[in-house]
Amino acid sequence: MSIHEREDRALRLQRVAELLAEAVTPQEVLDAILTEGVRAAEARAGAIGVLSDDGETVELLAQQGYPGPIKEDWGRFPVSAHLPMSQVMRSGEPLFISTLTERNELFPELAQQAQNGSSIAVLPLAVEGRVFGAMALSFAEEVEFGLERREMKVALARQASQALARSRLFAQEQALRERMTFLAEASELLSSSLDYNLTLAQLTQLAVPSLADWCAIDMAGEEGEIVRLAVAHEDPEKVRWAYELQERYPPKPNQPHGVPQVVRSGKPEFFPEIPEAILEEAIGDDEELRQIVDQLGLRSMICVPLTARGRTLGALTLIAAETHPTYTEADFQLALELAHRAAVAVDNARLYGEAEKGANAAQALAYVADGVVLLDNDRVVLHWNPAAAAITGVEESHALGKPVDEVVPAWSSLTSHVPLARPGTSGTRPVTVPLVLDGTELWVAVSGVDFGEGRVYALRDVTAEHALEKTRSDFVATASHELRTPLAAVYGAVRTLRREDIELSDEDRTTFLEMIESEALRLSHIVGQILLAGQLDADAVELRVAECNLAEIASGVIESASVHLPEGISLSLSADGVSSIMCDENKLRQVLVNLLDNAVKYSPDGGHVQIRLERAGGGCVIEVSDEGLGIPSSERERIFEKFYRLDPEQTKGVGGSGLGLYICRELVERMEGHLSVDSQPGVGSRFTVALPARL
Amino acid sequence: MPGPLQAGSEEHRGSAGSDARRVLVVDDERSIRMLCRVNLRASGMEVLEADGGQAGLEVARRERPDVILLDVMMPGLDGWCVARELAADKSTKDIPIIFVTARADAADRRKGEQLGGVGYVVKPFDPVGIGELVDDVLTRIERGEREQLQRGIATEHEG
Repeated sequence: MSIHEREDRALRLQRVAELLAEAVTPQEVLDAILTEGVRAAEARAGAIGVLSDDGETVELLAQQGYPGPIKEDWGRFPVSAHLPMSQVMRSGEPLFISTLTERNELFPELAQQAQNGSSIAVLPLAVEGRVFGAMALSFAEEVEFGLERREMKVALARQASQALARSRLFAQEQALRERMTFLAEASELLSSSLDYNLTLAQLTQLAVPSLADWCAIDMAGEEGEIVRLAVAHEDPEKVRWAYELQERYPPKPNQPHGVPQVVRSGKPEFFPEIPEAILEEAIGDDEELRQIVDQLGLRSMICVPLTARGRTLGALTLIAAETHPTYTEADFQLALELAHRAAVAVDNARLYGEAEKGANAAQALAYVADGVVLLDNDRVVLHWNPAAAAITGVEESHALGKPVDEVVPAWSSLTSHVPLARPGTSGTRPVTVPLVLDGTELWVAVSGVDFGEGRVYALRDVTAEHALEKTRSDFVATASHELRTPLAAVYGAVRTLRREDIELSDEDRTTFLEMIESEALRLSHIVGQILLAGQLDADAVELRVAECNLAEIASGVIESASVHLPEGISLSLSADGVSSIMCDENKLRQVLVNLLDNAVKYSPDGGHVQIRLERAGGGCVIEVSDEGLGIPSSERERIFEKFYRLDPEQTKGVGGSGLGLYICRELVERMEGHLSVDSQPGVGSRFTVALPARL
Repeated sequence: MPGPLQAGSEEHRGSAGSDARRVLVVDDERSIRMLCRVNLRASGMEVLEADGGQAGLEVARRERPDVILLDVMMPGLDGWCVARELAADKSTKDIPIIFVTARADAADRRKGEQLGGVGYVVKPFDPVGIGELVDDVLTRIERGEREQLQRGIATEHEG
């Protein structure tokens, strides 16, 4: 080899090195090798193959100078094949074959092939001692591979190796960056809205065409059916078509592959090359479907489950068809990651929806006047609404998460008599039970439902109703007592008058007749009070306001009271210049009669009872004062309550309907006046009626 | 049964004789006292009256009647208190008490029994039979049936 030739070779190598240094992408590197590299090597054609990820297959990346369909024929072949490239990849040693005869001897399979070219050189592509591919060079004539030639080819291969490895790393990094960008965009999209139907549909759009030719998301329906949520393709016409197809050929739930299988099993499916058998299986005998599938040109498929908290919500399908390269492991990993994020987004949206529903329910319960207590099967408090807190005096924060018996020690005695209804049944009547809390007794109406996973109780504080019920029944008892005494007098007088075995004096006879008369009036008065209280309740009392002479009314009341005045009681009237007032005369008289009655009744040891009238502003004040038992301060307001009796046991013997003061206050207030009391136990009481100037 | 009598007049009081039953009627209701007085006298009994608990206690201590007809609901000292005080006093604890009251509850009857009552008459009652009732009660007590009478209070039904 001449010096000139050496220099020339070195220059050519230099030129290749420069080109390779400029090449960034694998394609640029391949172009540089296969144009300048092949020329530098004085070869006629060249090809570059790389090992597949699994190290089992040789994939031809590019070729230059070979006629026609070499790539199609030799696009992929096993590393184990008896072929020059396979051998070089296996051995890592360069292979130089000078003659066709030699080649056909070494590789008989190639003898069948085109016999073009004479010599070949196959060189391993390796970095850091690891073979990742091979470069084949074919020469137009027979070449004697001397040492220098060989070294030159090896040097070229070394340069190609480094450039190719570098560019592939760059491409991988680029792809990784793209994936990360895609994932970031997808995540942003998924978190943009709680409407996951919308975001998932947008996600399929995002995946096309960078990630797939077809992207679909299917959800698992409530009864295990597959519901297509979205499908995307660059061509909207094809999307319409896909929906039509889905309708005509709905996925069968028991399908051994594809979405139904993935949703069913929760396991992903990844077919870099969709096996014919699977397509055949899906097509069956349907000729039309066969045509459609052929037309679709499905090549590579990834179907990953959307799984959150152990539940498969649906599946994400990516399909490479007409444009997208065959899926790799990296694509599969990306799909898994994407599906994971989508599933979390769906799950979050659903959880949020449920939480919102729950929050709405809790909010509603916050306004319910009944206490609502939810316990799990271990009697731990799960819900404790404000009414429950108000009834029990235990704050929600102190109740939640604790055993209810700790929260309310009396709980079991409270609920032990409560029959529990089953959900959907008509329920049971609430049971009213006493509940003693910190010494105070409440009456609580309790009902409960056992729904299997726990119990829910409704509590209503019926202390007031219970008290009213008790006063009502007390009233019946006291009213009957009150009626019995005058009845005894009337009945007894009649029975005695009719005795024939004795002769009554005229005086006694008269007394008995008077007794019948007055006691019958007393009966009528009590009955009248009961009726009046009922009318006041029903707001059916009509006032007839007219100008009245107050002093006259008061003196009339005193006069009739004097007739049956008990011993030791004296009455007086003080009316300084008060004469006329606008009021309902009968009602006011009734008030004064009741007040005077009370004053006398509660003065068992006698004393002075006075009615005093006084002008005040344009109106007037009527005071009825006594020197009787007096009223303890704690009772001073309660005595105006209906049915309330100062002494309900009547141990002090003062009877009454329990209605007198209630009626008085109601009547006075209807006349726009005010009735109040001032009293000192043991000293006496003073009731004051203040009436306004005009009604 | 004695013949027709002029009831209520002072001069006939003695006609009951020295061994006549002496009945104390304690009631704040004038009409009830009068009904008892007239009808008890017609049965030949001597009638003492008090218009309240305190007065009843005083008369009982002073006069030691054979029997007391005792109202419950009275101003001041009520019938229950009177019964309790009488029972606490050696000189009065054996005087039989017949409650005459408007209180008809079973709980009140039990209270009457606990306080040592030997009869329980619920108002309204027939005053014509009151003399006979008093006589019957006293006769049975004399026969030693006081405890049975007492127990009968709570179970007796309103006549």
